[in-house]
Amino acid sequence: MTHELLNGLSPIEAELVLELGTKQIVPSGTPLFRLGDPADRLFLIERGRIRLTLPMQVRGREEDVFVEERSPGQTVGWSALIPPYRFTLTATAPLFEAEVIALPREALRKYFAANPEAGHKIALNLAVVIGHRLQLFQTMWLREMQRTVEVRSA
Amino acid sequence: MDMLLIGLCLGVFGVVFVALAFGAAMHSESWNSTVQSELPLVKAAVPARFFSQRVPITPAVPPLQVPIEVLLLQIENHVRMEQAAAESFLASPTHDLLHSKTTSPFVN
Repeated sequence: MTHELLNGLSPIEAELVLELGTKQIVPSGTPLFRLGDPADRLFLIERGRIRLTLPMQVRGREEDVFVEERSPGQTVGWSALIPPYRFTLTATAPLFEAEVIALPREALRKYFAANPEAGHKIALNLAVVIGHRLQLFQTMWLREMQRTVEVRSA
Repeated sequence: MDMLLIGLCLGVFGVVFVALAFGAAMHSESWNSTVQSELPLVKAAVPARFFSQRVPITPAVPPLQVPIEVLLLQIENHVRMEQAAAESFLASPTHDLLHSKTTSPFVN
């Protein structure tokens, strides 16, 4: 399994990082984390899929609306490394159970302090993950705004 | 002779009676036609509604509301389609890809 967060690390470095974490099973339909929860660990997906949702008012009811789905090798929960360390989405395993590696923030910080070169690579990989998300949602936001403008100008 | 005079009088009365009846009938008909000619004027004050595009069509039955599960699924499909469109744009950013029209049924 190749994890996007560990790109560019040597096999030994990657192994050392993975040893910081613990494997966790996420049963189907069970939240891995919820919006607003304290974020003290990030997750590397080993197996299955993780569905990210945001609450939306639909017909007067609060419903979890699909935002994104992440697959094995991808990372979820990077709010664990970004202040104020609160999850900004809700993550669940949709249809089948999923397996993730939970990496605690404090263990990662200690590792980065002891291995700055590996820490630098991981930080860059994290920047790619966050940057891609930002560009993706920026584009989606603009397309939705464009539609709104067209409807209002019609 | 008397019988002739009586017959003549009755004939005159008959003619007068028929003339009066005819006159009354004609007066009634002309009154009706006056009223009828005024009715379209009253109707003309009301804007024509038939075949007009501006007349709102009130459905006899309220539109069917899709179940919330279906609505959420439609939103999810829309988000997935928009993500795919955004991914295409990010892979090769062009003005056309950024503003490509979505085929998502949720907004069409």
